[in-house]
Amino acid sequence: MNRTKLLLGLLLWYGLLWIVLAIAPRDRQDWWLENLLALAAVATLIATYRRFQFSTPSYLLMTAFLSLHAIGAHYTYAEVPFGFWLQQLFGFSRNPFDRLVHFSYGLLLAYPLRELLVRLAGVKGLWAYYLPVSGMLAQSGLFEIVEAVVAQIVSPELGAAYLGTQGDEWDAQMDMIAAFAGALLCMVLVVISARAGWTNRRGRPASPDRP
Amino acid sequence: MVTQNKRLLAGLLLWYVLLSLWTAYAPTDRQFWLLSSILPGFLVLALIGTHRFLPLSPASYVLITLFLTLHMIGARYTYAGVPAGVWLEQAVPLGRNEYDRIVHFCFGFLLTYPIEELFRLTVPLRGWLLYYLPVMTVLGLSGLWEIIESWVARLVHPELGITYLGSQGDVWDAQKDMAAAMYGALLCTALLLWYRRRRPGLPRQIADASH
Repeated sequence: MNRTKLLLGLLLWYGLLWIVLAIAPRDRQDWWLENLLALAAVATLIATYRRFQFSTPSYLLMTAFLSLHAIGAHYTYAEVPFGFWLQQLFGFSRNPFDRLVHFSYGLLLAYPLRELLVRLAGVKGLWAYYLPVSGMLAQSGLFEIVEAVVAQIVSPELGAAYLGTQGDEWDAQMDMIAAFAGALLCMVLVVISARAGWTNRRGRPASPDRP
Repeated sequence: MVTQNKRLLAGLLLWYVLLSLWTAYAPTDRQFWLLSSILPGFLVLALIGTHRFLPLSPASYVLITLFLTLHMIGARYTYAGVPAGVWLEQAVPLGRNEYDRIVHFCFGFLLTYPIEELFRLTVPLRGWLLYYLPVMTVLGLSGLWEIIESWVARLVHPELGITYLGSQGDVWDAQKDMAAAMYGALLCTALLLWYRRRRPGLPRQIADASH
């Protein structure tokens, strides 16, 4: 009962945030592009809820990531105010918000992926730590490929100056490194939490909050 | 049968050693040769070390050797200077030496089957995950390779930036390389599915991996 309420709360939170951020985004076309995948992901999660339910922590992590992404989509990643603030604070040469979200992508979503692999595919042992990291890195690479294709279709003359790269020639690699580092950190945290007895061996929370 | 296998494996190993010796004799760029030979060396050692308790099929060893051969040729001439690629560039006006792109494609095409086999023998994967995860693994490794390549480029030739040998001045090089590997992996997976549909019968699984 508690869990159902919490999950509905998460959905409500995301729905409200999404509606607020759908009002007057910085660039409507970019907003659509960014939101296509996010909406597809949420729809998939709801549609498959009866067949496969993630643990509550997983849903929390996914909501956190989707919230960050919704903010990035509203302002366009290169112009998120929080990123400008970070830029000034640390004297970066660029708005680091997108890099931060790439890192969050690995950090927040490696755990749900691990859960999916462990529970759906019965992945065990070292594989259960390697495959989530590899999976996040692969999806990150796929995202960079899609980004490149979109950039070349939308604005072929802009090339590397395209929004996402902010003129950095190593942008794709840095983004992937960020996701990779995030996923690695997540797996380290999983190991630590398993050692501490917060979760059992199969990656499930020790507390019986699962259906 | 067993001795035949052993003879084949010994032959493949001999081929690899001879190839390494040939490429070591007078490489175009000694430093590049050394850097490119480290990972294949480790891979071969790992394959020899794991052969006793995790023997792959002869087909897998042949595919891996084929890939290593292509890679060592790239190491001998540096990828941007491989004669076959230069010839191809002249035969078909491509604007760049495409040898490295071809080898990226072959990375996916040739190594997806060995990876699939590895999963089949060590993780009880069934259904679509058995075909999805190898593709994801190839893409993940491809991303990791691009990350390492960018580190090496910045360490060894920081002044060259994006014009270093690996990317030949193309800002989208990393994305194209990863896409090539993904296409190779997808093609291999499609062939595998087609072959298994035509010849039903379970491939080797964990249970009978011991002999």
